[in-house]
Amino acid sequence: MHDDTLLEVAGLSKFFDGVPAVEDVSFDVRRSETLGIVGESGSGKTTLARCVLRAIDPDAGVVRFRSTDGWVELQDLSPKELIPLRREMQMIFQDPFASLNPRMTVREILEEPLVIHRVGNRDERLETVLEMLDHVQLEHDSLTRYPHAFSGGQRQRIGIARALILRPNLVVCDESVSALDVSVQAQIINLLEDLQRDLGLTYLFVAHDLSVVQHICDRVLVMHRGRVVESGAVDELFANPREDYTRLLLSAIPSPDPDVPLRPLDRRSLGL
Amino acid sequence: MSEAALQPTGAGPLAGVEERQAGAAISPRRLMWLRFRRHRLALASGAFLLVLYVLAAFCEFVAPYGTTTRNDDAVNAPPMRVHFFDADGRFHARPFVYAYRMEVNPDTWMREYTEDTGRPFPIRFFARGEPYEMWNLFRMDRHLFTTDAGAYIHLFGTDPLGRDMFSRVLYGGRISLSIGIVGVVLTIVLGILLGGIAGYLGGLADRVVNKAIEVLQCLPSLPLWMALSAALPVHWSPLLVYFGITIILSLFGWTALARQVRGRFLALREEEFVMAARLIGADTPRVIRKHMLPSFSSHIIATATLAVPAMILGETALSFLGIGLRPPVVSWGVLMFQAQNPLVIELTPWQMFPGLFVVLTVMAFNLLGDGLRDAADPYSTGGMK
Amino acid sequence: MDAVLSIRDLAVEFKTDTGVTRALVDVGFEVPRGQVTAIVGESGSGKSVTANCIMRLIQPPGRIVGGTIDFVPQGAPPFEIVSLAKRDPRLLELHGGLISMVFQEPMTALSPVYTVGNQVAEAILCHRDVSRRQAWRESAEMFERVGLDDIERRMHMYPFEFSGGMRQRVVIAMALVCHPEVLICDEPTTALDVTIQAEILTLIKDLQRELGNSVIFITHDLGVVAQIADQVVVMYQGRVLEIGTVRQVLKDPAHPYTRGLLAAIPGLAPKGQPLATIASVVRDADIETPHPLRRLADGRRVSLPADG
Repeated sequence: MHDDTLLEVAGLSKFFDGVPAVEDVSFDVRRSETLGIVGESGSGKTTLARCVLRAIDPDAGVVRFRSTDGWVELQDLSPKELIPLRREMQMIFQDPFASLNPRMTVREILEEPLVIHRVGNRDERLETVLEMLDHVQLEHDSLTRYPHAFSGGQRQRIGIARALILRPNLVVCDESVSALDVSVQAQIINLLEDLQRDLGLTYLFVAHDLSVVQHICDRVLVMHRGRVVESGAVDELFANPREDYTRLLLSAIPSPDPDVPLRPLDRRSLGL
Repeated sequence: MSEAALQPTGAGPLAGVEERQAGAAISPRRLMWLRFRRHRLALASGAFLLVLYVLAAFCEFVAPYGTTTRNDDAVNAPPMRVHFFDADGRFHARPFVYAYRMEVNPDTWMREYTEDTGRPFPIRFFARGEPYEMWNLFRMDRHLFTTDAGAYIHLFGTDPLGRDMFSRVLYGGRISLSIGIVGVVLTIVLGILLGGIAGYLGGLADRVVNKAIEVLQCLPSLPLWMALSAALPVHWSPLLVYFGITIILSLFGWTALARQVRGRFLALREEEFVMAARLIGADTPRVIRKHMLPSFSSHIIATATLAVPAMILGETALSFLGIGLRPPVVSWGVLMFQAQNPLVIELTPWQMFPGLFVVLTVMAFNLLGDGLRDAADPYSTGGMK
Repeated sequence: MDAVLSIRDLAVEFKTDTGVTRALVDVGFEVPRGQVTAIVGESGSGKSVTANCIMRLIQPPGRIVGGTIDFVPQGAPPFEIVSLAKRDPRLLELHGGLISMVFQEPMTALSPVYTVGNQVAEAILCHRDVSRRQAWRESAEMFERVGLDDIERRMHMYPFEFSGGMRQRVVIAMALVCHPEVLICDEPTTALDVTIQAEILTLIKDLQRELGNSVIFITHDLGVVAQIADQVVVMYQGRVLEIGTVRQVLKDPAHPYTRGLLAAIPGLAPKGQPLATIASVVRDADIETPHPLRRLADGRRVSLPADG
C-alpha cells in the first residue's frame, strides 16, 4: 500500500438472488488519480461502484477508505455512521434527467448537502452555492430555476455541483458522460478534469466508452462478468492488451477514420 | 457562440421545445396548474364543488329555516317559483313568491297546491328571520334570504311534515359532504402509512400489508358495513354515530390508496435522485419527506378526490338503508331514506332533490379527480428519460 | 446520380402551447441507390424527424408543412411521399414493403406475446400472397442471413428470451424479409454494447452489399458513420449543414460545426490536454444563421456564406 492510497478494496463480492454481480474484486485508488472501470453492460462495474460508496451493501469483502480521521472500513458501518463520511465521498450519476429531484430548485438541490451536514449559516451557504455554480460554469440566475428548465449538459453540471459542494475527496463518476451528446460530452469531460486539478479530487470513473476512459483515466480496470480481467496504466493497457477480452473490446471500437476499417475479433473464437 | 445554443436536450425535438419555453422559473406546481386549466369540465366541477361546500359550511345562514321547523300550511307542497312580474305583468325589483293556495282534490283526497296570486311574499335579503346558532357558537337571526313574519318560502318544496326541503338539503349536505372529506383524510392517513411502510421497508411488512389488503378487498363491502353499523351502540349521540360511520367507511377505503402508495414508493426507491439524496447523507425520514412524498403528493390528491364520491355514496347507501345516520340528524342519505316510498316519485318528486345533489356531487368529484390526475404529472410529456 | 429518394425543402413544425417550433427547415438531400447514407447530428438536430417524414410517421402536434420526397423504387412506379393521402394504398406498400425501419430499442418493434418466427413470417404475409409454409421457410432463411444459429428452435422463442444484440438481429431480419428497397436504421446500435455494436454494424453493411438495397443510417457517433457510410449528411438544429462522401466529410470537413464534432471525440485528443469542444472549434463562425447549400468544387455541398 502506498502512502497516498485513498481507497482500498479487497475481495469485494455482491450477489443478486444468489447470482454474482461482482465477484472477488480487489484494487486500490491513489489520491488525485483517476481510476477507470470499464466493461460492457452486465459486467458489474456499476454494482462495484455502488458497493464502494455503500449505495448498496456488498455481501463480502473489505472497503477501506482513508477519511480525514484516519482509515475506516465502510462495509461494517451502520447507515448512521456513514452519514458524516458522505462529506468525503460522492457520486456523479449517469442520467442528468433522473438524478435531480424535479420538484426542487437548483438552490434547494445544491443547498441540501450543506443543510444536512450543518455547514455554515444561511448566508454562508448561499455563498458556497454561488461559488460552486462558478466552478461548474453555470449562471447565478440558475438558482431559482427547476431542473426541467435546463438542457442535458447543464443538468449534468448541476449534478456535478451537488456532488462537489461538500468538497469530497473521492468522487465516483457512474457513466457520467455517457448520456450526453458529443459536444456536451467534451465540455463535461474538460470540466471534470479542471475540477480535479483545482479541487484535488480523486475519481473512480465508471464507463463503457473506451475512448473517454483513455482520455481521462490514469489507470484502468477491465471488468467482465463481475471479475476484473485486467488492470494497469491506461495507455500501456490499451496499447498492449494481454487478455483476450480486452483485445475484443478494443477491436470493437469504430474508428472515426473511414480508412481504418472495423475488424472486430470474433467472440466465439476467443471462447468468451 | 454561446454554450446554450449548442446544448441539445437529449430527448428529441419536443423536449427541446419544452425546455425553451420553460426557461423562466416555472415551478412544478405552476406547470400543474397550467395543465389543469385546460380541463374545462374539471375546472367547472371544482367551482361547483367549492360553491356547494361554502353553502354547506354556512348552511344555518343560507337556509331560511332550521331542519325541524314545520309549516302547517304547506305539507307535501311543491317548489315555489320566484317571480319578478306579478299577475298583472308589473315588474318588481324585489323578487317575490306567491303563497300556496291549498285545495283537497275531491276525487283523490290529495292536497293540491296552486299559487295564490293575491298574496305575494317579497323575499328579504340579509333580513332577520328564524333565530339559530351559527356553528353552535353564536346566536344569530340574519339569513341570506327570508320572508316577513307570517310569510314563508320553500324553494324546493316541503316534506310530509311541512319542513322546508331547501333548508334540509343544505343541512344534509353539510353532513354528507363532510363525511366525504373526513373519511378521505382518514383513508389517506391509513393508506400512506400502511402503503408507505410496505413500500419502503419491503420484506415481511410488505407481505403483511399486502395480505391485509387482499383480504379486505375480497370482502363484500355492503354487508360488512351493515354489520359494523348495526354494531354501533344505539345510545350513541348523533355525533358519535357520525364518526363511527366515517371510520367504518375509511377502514375499507384505504386499500386502493395503500396499493398505489406502495407502488409509487417501490418505484421511487429506485429513482436516481432518491439514491442521490441518500448519498449526500440524507437520513430515511428526510428522504421520504423531501424527496419521495412531494413526488407523488399530487397523485395522492387526485386519487383522494376520486375516493370522495365512494365515501359519500357509502354514507348515502347506509343511511338510505336505515342503518347509517338516523333522524333527527339530517344527511342526504337520511333524506333519501325518507323519500323511499314509490309514491314519492309520482306525487311529490321534489323530495328527491337530495338524490339529485348526490348525483351532481359525485359526478363533479369524478370530473375534478380526472382533471387533477391528468395534471398531476407535469413532466409526463417532457421526456424524463 | 441515381437517387432512390430525393428530399427537397422538407419543413416540419411542432405546435406547442407557446407557439410553433420548426423541427426541420428546408431539408434536402438525395439517397443514392444501393449505398449507405448516414445522417449524423446531435439530439434536436432533426435526424430522426427526417426519417419519420420518409415513413410518414409524423404525428400531431407535428406536421409536415412543406417540401417533397420523391421515391423512385425499382419494382414499382415512382411517387411522391409527402402528398400521399392517409388511405392511399401506396402508403401501405411503403411501410415495411418498399421501405422498412429498424429502431434503437428492438423491444418496441417486437410484440412480446408472439414468437419471433411468427412475427417475421407475419411481415411476409402482410405484403405478399404466399402460403404460411413458404413464409416460414423464407423467414428461416432470413434468420440464417442475420447470423442467428439454431434457427428452428430460436424461431419458436419469444423476444424476451433473446439478448439485446440478438433481438436487434431479429428486428433486422423482420425489416429485410420483404426485400425493401430502402432500410432506415434509427440509431440501431446506440443501446448496445460496443462489441455487439461492431457485430451489428458488420451485419448491416454485409447484408447491404449482398442485397443491394439502399440504407439510411441515423447516428450521433462519427465512428459508426466512418465505418458504415458511403455518403454523409450532417444536420444541426433542423438544418443540413454539409453533404458529401464519407471521406470528404470526415477527413476534410468543410463546415466548422463538422470540424467541431470531429474534434470533440475523446480518443483523438492528446492526453492531458483539454478536449476540443464544438464551441472552441467553431469560435466566431456563425453556424446559427441558415445559408442555402452551396456546391464546392469537389462535388460536396455545404451550408456556408458564398464568400466563406
